[in-house]
Amino acid sequence: MQQGFRLKVLVTGVVLASLVALVALGGCERKPKIEPPKIDFVLAGEGYSTKPDFALIEHLHPIPIAELVRITPEYLAGLEQEQVDQIYARLSAGPIPDGAFDGALFFPKGSSGTLRASEIVGGLKGLAVQFKGRKLEALGAALWKGKVFYRDERVLRNRIEDLAVLKPLIGGSLADIPKIDVDDRDAWLLFPAKLYCGQSLLDGRRESIIIDYAFSDDLPGYRERPDYLATRRGFKVRDEIRMVRPGFYLGRAYLDHAFVLNFTLYNLTIAERDGPAFMANGQAQEDCWAGTQQRHLLVSR
Amino acid sequence: MDGIAVAKNVITRNVITGVITKDVIKRVVLCLGLLVVAAPPHAEEAPATQPAAPPVAVVTAQDYSAGFRAGAAQLDPSEAAGREIWYKATAGNSRFHTYVFQQRIGVLIDWYRVLQSAARDDRFKTWGLINDPDCCTPGSEGCPAKSLEETYGFDWCPGDDTLLKFVGKPDYRDPACDFQDAPFVTGSTGATDTPHGTPNGSGDQRQSPCDLEFGTSTGALGVRKFPNPKFDAERWRAANGGTLGTWVGLDGKLSDDPKNSDAKVSHLSDPSLEPPFRVGLACGACHIAFNPTRPPQDPAHPQWENIVGLVGNQYARFSEIMVSGMPTDSLEWQVFAHARPGTTDTSAVPTDQVNNPGTMNALINVAQRPTFANETVVKWRKVDACATGEDERMCWCEPGRTGKCWRRSSQPETVHHILKDGSDSIGFHEALQRVYFNIGSCSEQCWVNHLTDLRVIDPQQRGYGQTPFDIGQCRRDCPNFRAIEDRLPNLASFLLSAEAHAADLHVARANQREQADANAHYEYADLVDDLEREFGSGAVTRGKTVFAENCARCHSSQGEPFAGRDFRALADNGLRADWLGNDVPTLASEVGTFRCRSLHSNHTAGHVWQEFASETYRARPADPNNPDPNGGGRGYYRNISLVNLWAHAPFLHNNALGPELCGWGGVGSYEFYRNTYVDADGKQLATAPACWPYDPSVEGRFALYKASMRELLNPDARPPKITKLNQDIVIDIGPKLWDGAEEQRVYGLTLRVPAGTNAGLLGNFQHKPFIVDLVRSKTRPEELEAQLIETYGAEQGRAIAGALRDIANQVIDDPSQFLAAVKQRLPLLIKAYSSCTADIENAGHEFGRDLSDADKQALTAFLATL
Repeated sequence: MQQGFRLKVLVTGVVLASLVALVALGGCERKPKIEPPKIDFVLAGEGYSTKPDFALIEHLHPIPIAELVRITPEYLAGLEQEQVDQIYARLSAGPIPDGAFDGALFFPKGSSGTLRASEIVGGLKGLAVQFKGRKLEALGAALWKGKVFYRDERVLRNRIEDLAVLKPLIGGSLADIPKIDVDDRDAWLLFPAKLYCGQSLLDGRRESIIIDYAFSDDLPGYRERPDYLATRRGFKVRDEIRMVRPGFYLGRAYLDHAFVLNFTLYNLTIAERDGPAFMANGQAQEDCWAGTQQRHLLVSR
Repeated sequence: MDGIAVAKNVITRNVITGVITKDVIKRVVLCLGLLVVAAPPHAEEAPATQPAAPPVAVVTAQDYSAGFRAGAAQLDPSEAAGREIWYKATAGNSRFHTYVFQQRIGVLIDWYRVLQSAARDDRFKTWGLINDPDCCTPGSEGCPAKSLEETYGFDWCPGDDTLLKFVGKPDYRDPACDFQDAPFVTGSTGATDTPHGTPNGSGDQRQSPCDLEFGTSTGALGVRKFPNPKFDAERWRAANGGTLGTWVGLDGKLSDDPKNSDAKVSHLSDPSLEPPFRVGLACGACHIAFNPTRPPQDPAHPQWENIVGLVGNQYARFSEIMVSGMPTDSLEWQVFAHARPGTTDTSAVPTDQVNNPGTMNALINVAQRPTFANETVVKWRKVDACATGEDERMCWCEPGRTGKCWRRSSQPETVHHILKDGSDSIGFHEALQRVYFNIGSCSEQCWVNHLTDLRVIDPQQRGYGQTPFDIGQCRRDCPNFRAIEDRLPNLASFLLSAEAHAADLHVARANQREQADANAHYEYADLVDDLEREFGSGAVTRGKTVFAENCARCHSSQGEPFAGRDFRALADNGLRADWLGNDVPTLASEVGTFRCRSLHSNHTAGHVWQEFASETYRARPADPNNPDPNGGGRGYYRNISLVNLWAHAPFLHNNALGPELCGWGGVGSYEFYRNTYVDADGKQLATAPACWPYDPSVEGRFALYKASMRELLNPDARPPKITKLNQDIVIDIGPKLWDGAEEQRVYGLTLRVPAGTNAGLLGNFQHKPFIVDLVRSKTRPEELEAQLIETYGAEQGRAIAGALRDIANQVIDDPSQFLAAVKQRLPLLIKAYSSCTADIENAGHEFGRDLSDADKQALTAFLATL
């Protein structure tokens, strides 16, 4: 009985820890409420074969910079997955970020507006899946606050605010886990990852910034427990991000190449520092291969 | 209404404009002036739409070998230009073979294992690659490079004095920038199928040759290298034990302990460690071969005179090369790394989940190849202009050019049937252009987004299945596409040049004798005498009659009557008039050969290469005698050419008929040969016929031809062949914890597919609909059963539904029983979820079975003269 309980705790911890590894969560933009963006989407049917080609969407419907500026994490979280995909494909990688970013996550939603996993299961069981999915989102938000990018080292670490749930999975003393203070709030730094420019698993037309946990045991400060959960021996977590605008990135998290959820990352300081110049001409530093399809950068409609 | 018009209609109808207010419209109008058309600044390389940055270093004429240039001595400028492109141009695919395949597709290539200079002498017998005569191993006599440290472990090749300076640096000026284009010839816009036609417009508007992207040789012909600007020498040195001259830090396994999962892992799957070179492929990688009439004395050290560009490399192991970084117990290695030498599964990357390796087509006497009139072809055709406001998905002019325009339309056309099943049938030029997609060009811009991602199992998600490649989009967005397209006339003229002329056995023997004695002569009559000595008096003459009566209806490009025909007669162009194949599609069930290749589905409607097949192809009726899903173009083989059959054994589209070939005599860790011989029950023979080591000599080819002919004409004497897994496939699912000494599974399971399983069983299994149906058996059982009954009939439909339900229940109880549960119900599941159920790979084509022994001998003698 006791063993069964311990196993349950362990499995719960593993699931939660895998979420930590997937994304960093946290605060939303601390900005006045702004009008939602007006972004053109090309509607598709339900089947994969009806999804419009990203090259065509981008060619016909580039997102004006003025609309990029209006995108918020909350706006993205309210979209169907196909719409999120159509936005992601029209972004470029931008610069590899530097510094601490606040995060938020959201699971894919189908055309019914409920979680895609819930749609697949359907019926009452589907409702249960929807409920559990929402609980997971909330739990993630309570635990994880964001990511910290060390651009020069091409390394990233995740900000974990509450280690209580993960404690069964963490061996040794908590005292030797490095911490970070962001806006007067302490967080532990766990789950390191490598940063590089690489292939998007959704849209090959240009590279994304990849956050790769597979070989994080190479990195300084790696501790097997719990960091292994995200590595090649664990859930094989791989995130990719593209820049919405300076300081704001949209990401996709994968487990062993299988898409799991979306996330956003936001850094107010960078947004305020680099935002105005971006607003003016849409130009931003590109650290990654930007492809050869001509991008039509509309300052506004 | 064609597909594009439908798409346009749908898109127009479905665009969500959001809340478009008057204010928005006003702002759109006001801000039109703020439209900026720009490619974002590149971090690592300049956009390829313009010629590269000003020259940093010039590749001089001496970088090009005299031997290579001598091969073009008899060619006109267009043919010579086409030859150079064929041998060297990668059209940007080094990104595919360095990044895309590994990261997006998830399959690892170990380029160092394939190309390391230290193993140069073993390269041919291991990988079937042909060593570049102009390259050398650093430190060898006369080699400009003195140590492997200088070349990062690769061969030194011409142009490397410049290239090596740019490893880890930007602004490499590709040698293709100095490519000498063939003279511009003013041509009409309609001259798309004229070999010497030119790009449209009145002036030379060809895309910059820089976008051909030559790089330099890796030491293996057709395999090219490029300096990687993202390479970090210090990091490389640290990963490689302090040296630059090896890649063991990239491809070495992380653990020696077989119990540790890291024993199967290397940094090949860690893209943060950038190699010094990106590696790309030219068309020649598969097609450059030893000249059958002038084979090298030593295959590891050929000279340029031993090499031709078009007959196809019968020894190349590209399937093995493409998965060379995968563990041998992985699904990828076991299912794909078994293609016979000289074959590769070209629908493995754009996968159709049909396990179907085929030979590199031998391009011989191409000018005589049959064409087919009045096929309905939808494609882009050159025009002088598009109407103002015309939808650019129907008519498009290249910006910045004058009159370089194309319009998409449906017209009757005279076309070739190129691929084994007759697909690639919208025109000679377009078929040539598609070769570049096959080898990875424009993958990111144009086609990886259209592929099936084997891990996506939600039918609503992109990547669940294929969607059609869009030629117009690729032309617009990929400069490498345009660089090739603008030079297709040159490539076409090369394929029609003397380099593709027949290589007859009597010529090969004459060359052989002249090497020993400059005054020796050997003519066609001498060959006939020799053949008749070996196969019986009058064998060649009798063989011609046997051929006319039994074979010519498929294997002659001349019409009936065949009696009395001279199959060796010359056409006005000096080539043999008969192509010895009519290219007419024949039902695979009629030929009886291994049908999986005929079920290739990438050219069917809605699939990735849809735009490269004619409507006539797709209108071919389904075969009622084929038990597997077919129709929509599938289910046929074209009747192939027998020109120079003496040099191209083993036979059939998969090289399965005849002795099996091997590089190392069947032994050794680099021997990829698998015993495929089975008994009547499909069980692997413990004592199988030995494989034949590669022997490209004249007599080696002829011996192989005779042995293969014996099997062809005596079907009962063919030992059946089925490719099996030669090692268990092991798939670990779930996390493992490393305690510093040992790895412990936290939870999850290990799936194990046993050695001896038919490789095709896995390669053809449509796992996605199976998984979807497995889920539906629990979530929507009535709907699933109704659908299965409609497809398979009441009895079988219910049985399949029941099997799925039982498997789902069993897996919920105990996930580790997944494979066992599937295995128990395999025949039913194969019926429902396999794309091809054929297993014997060397079956069929039994048309010579009933000939007398004498006639079989005669036919063998006659075919050797063609």
